[in-house]
Amino acid sequence: MNKMTNWAMAHSRLLFSLIGFTVFLVIGLVAIPSLFPTSSSYLHAVKIDTDPENMLSSNEPVRIFHNEMKQKFGLYDMLVVGITNPSNPQGVFTVDVLNNIYDLTQSIQNMQWEEDGKTLGVVGVDVLAPSTVDNIEQEGVGTVRFEWLMDHAPSSEKEAQVIAHKASRIPFLKDTLISGDQKALAIYVPITSKNVSYEVAQKIQEKISTFQGKENYHITGLPVAQDQFGVEMFKQMALSAPLAMLLIFLLMWFFFKNVGLIIAPMIVAMISVILTMGALVISGQTIHIMSSMIPIFIMPIAVLDAVHILSDFFDRYPKTKQCHLTVKEVMRDLNSPMLFTSLTTAAGFLSLAFTPIPPVQVFGIFVASGVLIAWLLTVTMVPAYISLLPQKSLDAFGKKHCEIEEEKSTEHKSWMDKVLTWTGKFSYQKAKGIIIGTFILIGISALGISKIQINDNPVKWFEKSHPIRVSDQVLNDAFAGTYMAYLTLSPKENIQVQFSTSELESFDPKILSQLQNHLSKTLDQKLDLGDMKKLEDYIFERQDSEVDDETWEKWDEAAQSVSKKIQEFQIFKRPDVLHFIERLQEYVLQSGVVGKSNALPDVVKTVHRELFLGKDEAYKIPDTAPAVSQVLVTYQGGHRPQDLWHFVTPSFDQTNLWIQLNSGDNRDMQSLIDAVDEFMKSEQAPLSLSHKWFGLTYINVIWQQKMVKGMMESFGGSFFIVLFMMIFLFRSLWWGLLSMVPLTVSIAFIYGFIGFIGKDYDMPVAVLSSLSLGLAVDYAIHFLARSREIKSKHETWKEALEEVFQEPGRAIVRNVIVIGVGFTPLLFAPLVPYQTVGFFISAILLLAGVASLVILPAMITLGQNYLFRSKLERNKS
Amino acid sequence: MLASIGGMFSSSANEAIQVQEIVAKASHASYYQGKSGRAKVQMTIEDKQKNQRIKKFTILREDIKNDVDEGQKFYIYFTYPSDERGTSFLVWKHLSKADDRWLYLPGLDLVKPIAASDERSSFVGSDFLYEDVSGRIPSEDQHELVKTTDNFYVVQSTPIDASKVEFSSYKSWIHKQSFLPVKSEFYDKNGKAYRVYEATKVETIASYPTVVESKMTNLVQGSHTLLKYMDVKYDIEFKENIFTEKYVRTPPRAYLK
Repeated sequence: MNKMTNWAMAHSRLLFSLIGFTVFLVIGLVAIPSLFPTSSSYLHAVKIDTDPENMLSSNEPVRIFHNEMKQKFGLYDMLVVGITNPSNPQGVFTVDVLNNIYDLTQSIQNMQWEEDGKTLGVVGVDVLAPSTVDNIEQEGVGTVRFEWLMDHAPSSEKEAQVIAHKASRIPFLKDTLISGDQKALAIYVPITSKNVSYEVAQKIQEKISTFQGKENYHITGLPVAQDQFGVEMFKQMALSAPLAMLLIFLLMWFFFKNVGLIIAPMIVAMISVILTMGALVISGQTIHIMSSMIPIFIMPIAVLDAVHILSDFFDRYPKTKQCHLTVKEVMRDLNSPMLFTSLTTAAGFLSLAFTPIPPVQVFGIFVASGVLIAWLLTVTMVPAYISLLPQKSLDAFGKKHCEIEEEKSTEHKSWMDKVLTWTGKFSYQKAKGIIIGTFILIGISALGISKIQINDNPVKWFEKSHPIRVSDQVLNDAFAGTYMAYLTLSPKENIQVQFSTSELESFDPKILSQLQNHLSKTLDQKLDLGDMKKLEDYIFERQDSEVDDETWEKWDEAAQSVSKKIQEFQIFKRPDVLHFIERLQEYVLQSGVVGKSNALPDVVKTVHRELFLGKDEAYKIPDTAPAVSQVLVTYQGGHRPQDLWHFVTPSFDQTNLWIQLNSGDNRDMQSLIDAVDEFMKSEQAPLSLSHKWFGLTYINVIWQQKMVKGMMESFGGSFFIVLFMMIFLFRSLWWGLLSMVPLTVSIAFIYGFIGFIGKDYDMPVAVLSSLSLGLAVDYAIHFLARSREIKSKHETWKEALEEVFQEPGRAIVRNVIVIGVGFTPLLFAPLVPYQTVGFFISAILLLAGVASLVILPAMITLGQNYLFRSKLERNKS
Repeated sequence: MLASIGGMFSSSANEAIQVQEIVAKASHASYYQGKSGRAKVQMTIEDKQKNQRIKKFTILREDIKNDVDEGQKFYIYFTYPSDERGTSFLVWKHLSKADDRWLYLPGLDLVKPIAASDERSSFVGSDFLYEDVSGRIPSEDQHELVKTTDNFYVVQSTPIDASKVEFSSYKSWIHKQSFLPVKSEFYDKNGKAYRVYEATKVETIASYPTVVESKMTNLVQGSHTLLKYMDVKYDIEFKENIFTEKYVRTPPRAYLK
């Protein structure tokens, strides 16, 4: 390792040229395809991906099922435009507002554009708005009427009120399209794919800005939140990260007072980030929510080692005044701790590659690479750079500090030295107390950890005051919830049917034998739907070619018999099954997280009621399957026959419940899943049904589960890897175990804290365990390595401890402060995950620093006889 | 000079008469052949996912007046699938007012008048609309002959009351000899075609050129519906007055076979 440093110092100019060349090359490889997308097909342009769905690999069963079902039931991702009008007692049901809404709906339906031969944008026919949905109601005596709920914008206030009243009578619309209090209204905007949501939202916003009224418009929905996140992610990367850099710079300047010198760690951090992110893009990876955090993770780690070098150099240089020599000396002492801190950090992140979540894998691999790049640069570029500095520029360096040191006067010692000296003494004298305190702390932390709530919600990635959060709040208060979860039911086993003897006798014998021949099966066997379809087709073919009326009749009878059997496959026309779904709907409503559910029984009941004079007692499911079937045919006589297929397949063998949650919290979705599992287990269904979820709200839960489990496993794995590395580094089991103490305490404390304050264990929090693992062990390595080295020069640990708390202690404290404080700008980020990361990075570093400086010396003090003797003995032998 | 002005008038008037005539003849060819008629229809609805649903019904028709194309009565009786068997529609089509419509649902034993203020809703969930079944009345649109080809008159029709319909106009390719529209394209408010009707098979039955297969495609939803007309008969004598509410509940079997 020293060789590498020596070579670098000897060939500094060549080294700088090489690094410079690499940086420009990487920048070029990223910039060319990004700025000129058509220039080369081998190069990858910058691709942004804000879709949390991609937290799961695209061939994950839950995603495949999700996409299959979306297609099967003709469902799209949706934006929701909510309209409220608090200043008017009639809410939005006034002539002016409804005119605007009518106008807006028309514009929304036409928001399409062509791209690469595909039509993108709004799926016009499926927009749900007052002017696009049907109203069924009574007209005059006994006449049922289908009409658009609002086929033209109203011209009188009375007309406007009528619309509100009508909509409130349609269960499908109440609390979905119009709020329960008939004051607010929502337009549901299906879009061709999630990644057009931002553009569509912009267009809607544009249209809204032309309205003069006092009404408020809120655009929300998971797709908007996700797309918006992408936009803000960029702001974040462009603003907070450099700001953090600046703050780190200022702090280093405060400590070392030499701009020329502290430029070095800044450059190391910058180049590490550029090369890592460059490699990410060049390798064709997308910049995802996770990978956008890579720079923020690499920066502190990259600066960390360099701060150690500077700190030691700062302390030693004034004594020798020999730049070259001092650098070499510093590097010799720091080489192995730096290598090991980098390796352990990299190992911590690399363990993320074994999680089942692709973006987390990418994140782990690239942060690990970034850490190693930073290490390589630190051991080559930093010493080379320092040795190149003109003597003059170093003249004042560390001088003041050195003079103070020489005076040895306590009054003139810097505050840091005072604190450090005191800490050293304290940890020696009160070693037992510290250890007991540590155990108490761990106990309390364990209690906190047991209280941890695993939860996430992409909408909550925005701050409370963010328009998306505000819209979310307003709409979920006014309506039954804007988070949709879909629950499908289908028979557990493939249905088979059988003709009874009497049924077979009703066939014309000649026709029966022809049918059996065609199928090469007798009809008294078990038959599946495929068999029946085959029979159906054959009968139609024969019947159509029949000219003789009598034979035609006979074929028609056969057709009826077969059709009746086919209906046995159509289980979701059965009243008993529909009643079961009804019960399920009532049950989920009681779970507390569901505002409303829409399902096939609601359609049947509503149409049935209107067929029977609109009387409330007719709001029920009819008694026979044919009656259900005919009610549904009547429903399909409206303007939107396709709506039925959002709830059931045309073969009526699978149904889909739309469940509206008023919160997108995974926790709430999870409790809904549990409730439904419970219901399906305890309630007797007319036939055994299997149930499966889909929808974005559900997918979020699944990736969270994978995330939590994956993170725990990867953390456990990397804990042991790091432990083995430590045992190897110190050639001692006990020293190895000792080095794991600060990180164990830090992590226990942080997660205990999270549990106590009720902060949700979400994506950034999960990732933090790996970060703390990699960083917290660093201080311990530095502290222990230097402690052992210094102890070898001293008689007793007590004496050695004093020295440990000078130069090495200062390096650790400087590190803690520079990096800990340097990341506070993240607290002002507009996105909550960045805030979380910022806060906890600072907290973890502070904690790990304190733990290393207080707990470690206390433990060494208590175990000094064993720890140092065993080493001594080993050296002798 | 006077003559030439007169000539100009007469030529444009001629054209106006001509397009009215084409449209009237087309309406006649499509809906008014013979005094009455009957067909067995097989309807295949296919959605975007290629799911097929087959329905069968018999349609009976009688014109109010023999010599002029005015009111008509339709009786539609579903025979397939078995759980929709017996579902019937009765339609009294009027030229000057909204049609009268009744629906009979055997499963509920319910005869229900349906307000037909809006005829542009789906016919039993297919891509055809009620209005396609009973025929759109020519006087509801303004017609313009936009092109004459070797075989077709291409007529552009624009609704007089645009608020009642979802299209902005439609274009029909009317066959010069038979006057059957073999294709119609409906355009949305942006002028984009979204719905296409095609007469895919024409046969001459009882001297009347008759569409025996037609297709309606919904370009937006990616679905289409195919109608096959079988056993078409014209000029049937209906002995009883079967086009009444009473017969909806007790189907006139003799005519449905």
